[in-house]
Amino acid sequence: MQLHTTTGYKIITQLLAQNQYRPFDFQEQAWQHIINCKSGLVNAPTGCGKTYSIFLGALIQFINNNPNNYAALKTNGLQLLWITPLRALAKDIGRAMEDVINKLGMQWRVGIRNGDTSMSDREKQKRQMPEVLIITPESLHLLLAQKDNTKIFNALKIIAVDEWHELMGGKRGVQVELALSRIVNVQKTLFNTLCSLWGISATIGNLDEAKEVLLQPMQKLHVASESAAASAKVFGETVRASVKKQIEIHSIFPDEIEKYPWAGHLGIKLVDKILPIINQSKTTLVFINTRGMTEMWYQALLAAAPELAGAIALHHGSIEQELRLWVEENLHTGKLKAVVCTASLDLGVDFRPVETVIQVGSPKGVARFLQRAGRSGHSPNAVSRIYFLPTHSLELVEAAALKKAVEENFIESKPPLLLCYDVLIQYLCTLAVGDGFYPERIFNEVKNTFCFNDITKDDFLEIIKHITVGGTALSQYDEYKKVEIMPDGLHKINNRRIAMRHRMHIGTIVSDAMLKVKFMSGGYIGVIEEYFISRLEPGDSFTIAGRNLELLMIKDMTVLVKLSTAKKSVIPSWQGGRMSFTNNMAAKLRQALDTSHKKNNIAELQVLQPLFALQNTLSRVPKQDELLIEHIATRDGYHLFVYTFEGRLVHEAMAAILAYRISRIVPITFSFAMNDYGFELLSDQPIPVDDSNVYELFSEENLFEDIQKSVNSTEMAKRKFRDIAVIGGLIFQGMPGEKQKARHLQSSASLLFKVFNEYEPNNILLKQAYAEVFEQQMEETRLRDMLRRIQKSKIIITVPERLTPFCFPLKVDSIRENMSSERLEDRVKRMQEQLTK
Amino acid sequence: MPSFIQHTIGNNSFILHYNRIVFWEQQKVLILSDLHLGKTGHFRKSGIAIPNAVMKEDMQRLVDAIQFFKPVQLVIVGDMFHSVANKEHELFLKWRNDFSNIKILLIKGNHDIVPHEWYRNAAIDVVEGNWRLNDVAFVHQMEDADEALLQSCFYFSGHIHPAVSIKGLGKQSLRFPCFFFTKNFAVLPAFGKFTGTYLMEPAKNEKAFAVVNNSVIAF
Repeated sequence: MQLHTTTGYKIITQLLAQNQYRPFDFQEQAWQHIINCKSGLVNAPTGCGKTYSIFLGALIQFINNNPNNYAALKTNGLQLLWITPLRALAKDIGRAMEDVINKLGMQWRVGIRNGDTSMSDREKQKRQMPEVLIITPESLHLLLAQKDNTKIFNALKIIAVDEWHELMGGKRGVQVELALSRIVNVQKTLFNTLCSLWGISATIGNLDEAKEVLLQPMQKLHVASESAAASAKVFGETVRASVKKQIEIHSIFPDEIEKYPWAGHLGIKLVDKILPIINQSKTTLVFINTRGMTEMWYQALLAAAPELAGAIALHHGSIEQELRLWVEENLHTGKLKAVVCTASLDLGVDFRPVETVIQVGSPKGVARFLQRAGRSGHSPNAVSRIYFLPTHSLELVEAAALKKAVEENFIESKPPLLLCYDVLIQYLCTLAVGDGFYPERIFNEVKNTFCFNDITKDDFLEIIKHITVGGTALSQYDEYKKVEIMPDGLHKINNRRIAMRHRMHIGTIVSDAMLKVKFMSGGYIGVIEEYFISRLEPGDSFTIAGRNLELLMIKDMTVLVKLSTAKKSVIPSWQGGRMSFTNNMAAKLRQALDTSHKKNNIAELQVLQPLFALQNTLSRVPKQDELLIEHIATRDGYHLFVYTFEGRLVHEAMAAILAYRISRIVPITFSFAMNDYGFELLSDQPIPVDDSNVYELFSEENLFEDIQKSVNSTEMAKRKFRDIAVIGGLIFQGMPGEKQKARHLQSSASLLFKVFNEYEPNNILLKQAYAEVFEQQMEETRLRDMLRRIQKSKIIITVPERLTPFCFPLKVDSIRENMSSERLEDRVKRMQEQLTK
Repeated sequence: MPSFIQHTIGNNSFILHYNRIVFWEQQKVLILSDLHLGKTGHFRKSGIAIPNAVMKEDMQRLVDAIQFFKPVQLVIVGDMFHSVANKEHELFLKWRNDFSNIKILLIKGNHDIVPHEWYRNAAIDVVEGNWRLNDVAFVHQMEDADEALLQSCFYFSGHIHPAVSIKGLGKQSLRFPCFFFTKNFAVLPAFGKFTGTYLMEPAKNEKAFAVVNNSVIAF
């Protein structure tokens, strides 16, 4: 069918013309595919009509199918299912859709379904589905936990997955994959129809893969029904919006370059430099990586420019919801001059008044940097303007690297997750709460997703065993109860309490448990992640909301503190602190350092010359084909600094592996520290790394085995296990009216981890924790690539007489983990000897 | 490395064993705390698949300790059972039958909420609050200790699941359950393996004995 000749097209374009809107080419392409009942992916940035590309397509299709009575038709059942990751976006999108529907005089209704939807609205939707349902992945799963949910999908024509680039790569993406596999199979088997499936995605490095992941369940059904020839070609259409955004990047230079950079130290001193920037633009967003720092910046800005009081605001995840909404509202209306924020404003609705963005500290990745830049200059043809403000002088190298990456459009890929058993366990329980499931049938559906393409029958049965008998063999003293097997083989959750508990826990976003921070003498300070505070001991000092505090005790989910006089204190490592350089960022950074050796006119590198000179005098600035290793002895012990520039996560793994490999030469115990530039091994005895063994220590050989052995003794898997345990339903947060007994059902993730490790080491969730460490945390592929690169490069070992500019930031902010080849008992004994010496 | 440590208080000598128990030699009494029996069962009944081997192994460790020390009595300073009764409690009853010659005394803890008949049926004597034997007293939480008894007796208690963190150079640190001793009282490590720990910081006149694998190490 030719789009332009159809009634629907004529009616829609007429309406658009009345509103001085002409469809973009990509929108018309998408509409054409939709009326041809194709599936695919629309690649378009936010704010250029991506919603219309699918939504109007759905309307055109409906009008074409009902040319005479499209305006009168009521209660047509669900036509368009719109999956969006952001609750905040749902209302805006819904309003835009309703506006069009009203203007066309149609009877379609738009419903919103997310955590905020009221009980009565849910009930109404249950009785009569609206034509358009805007839903989050979590609520979609809740829909699948309803009785008789299949009939909802009877008339469904299109599923749209908005912001697919955001969803894919995370467990919410896996949730979407599973839900899609269910819906298309329900349609095929029960109603013998098949809807269209469309993703909407911003540009990422692996756009084709993104399409493949999304469409996989659909493609598998097509392959089953079509000829082999038809299935051979790439499935699904790709529609690209050729809207190119102009971006300006400026670095903010400190007046003086400190030769010993120190994370977080510099930034706030530059507050005077950003005031003119704020003054010159209508509205400015100041992105800061950590919540603690946003508070400090907010205070610093107010101190430097008191006249801004009332015109600047704070926005981050620990700020109460109401205040955040107020900030967002005022951003819309342009009443705010500047907002100091964290990743909390990375996504979501666009604020048109924003003209300028300031990025404080490393954005850690090209895509994130671009995303933030894109928050400014939102009207058509406006330029996005972003300023980069370094928090320590070395970060200026990152600015140079980012500029290069943006120029080359060198954007990261989002690798899809594979075999997330925790999500699968949750999903199966969701189905069991709903109408129940037959394992045989569901196995085939699940296998049709990209995520579970390679799941083995054995692993699937293992999971079924986990949810039906609790993993272990039946024993007369066991009363495990979750999913029950009915006489006809239907797997179902019958226990109402268990079902209710499960419904409350559907979702894959596991936020860190937050604890309130209060003065012992009374007075609320803020909130802090349990993860952070659990690593501190009473007497330790930390900084929050700009205050140095001493931890006194933790009681009833409250951290009690007093003001600290200690000079050294730990700054909480929030989400931002834990982000790691992306592959692309790392590559560009190494390139930029290399460039510093050559004649260049890159301002950032010029400014850093004194620092580079000192580094070159004491040690060396590594070129692209060099690996720098520094041996430095201090009062603390013997340090080995290795600069691989691969990002903190890879360094964390590499440090463990290197420590393990060295410890096979001599029994030795290390502590580690790492940042995005490199890592440190610290020991109380000299570290035997020299020309004779260094290539061997960085060899790719036995990598897998060495990882297994070294990771086992670290905390990595334990940390991963927390999320998995929550998603997989092992950690239960309690619910109202069940207080006493609920308390008896609580346990910490670390305790569960310990117990499983000891008593059920083959548990599938435990195995997943290790797999996640291996694939995501250590990024095994990247690790391998790095080792290959190192084998080909020149390894330079220096013995500087004192700390170098490069090692200094590592010395300052450090995360330490333990790893030892000594017998536990011997080690404790030796530690004691050291203490009593 | 010693698998246990002998600790003398007045005329009494106590053996601190890596199985997280104390043996009082003179009275042939095994003292233990925070078994949290039935905890795995309680979780499993609610659909949380904790490995049920935990309970079986806890029971086995108790058997080992009994066969090794041959006590006449067990004194349990609280939290013997984790929550309301479940089938794992029957496993305990079976075990109890095999060791019916040993007296069991439970100083009630905050988790001990099963009904009195149940204890009677299991031949467990239950005491609320404080209990004393010669110059040694027992209580679940030290804050409930009797002021007068505290003057004349050495106390054994539980409840907090003490642990110590052992630090070395280079900021290394590891955490182990411990027996925690002050001049007047001791806090026992939790016997049950499915239990969390609370970090203690021994002051100068306090002593911690860490359980490290199959050893007990003094600090």
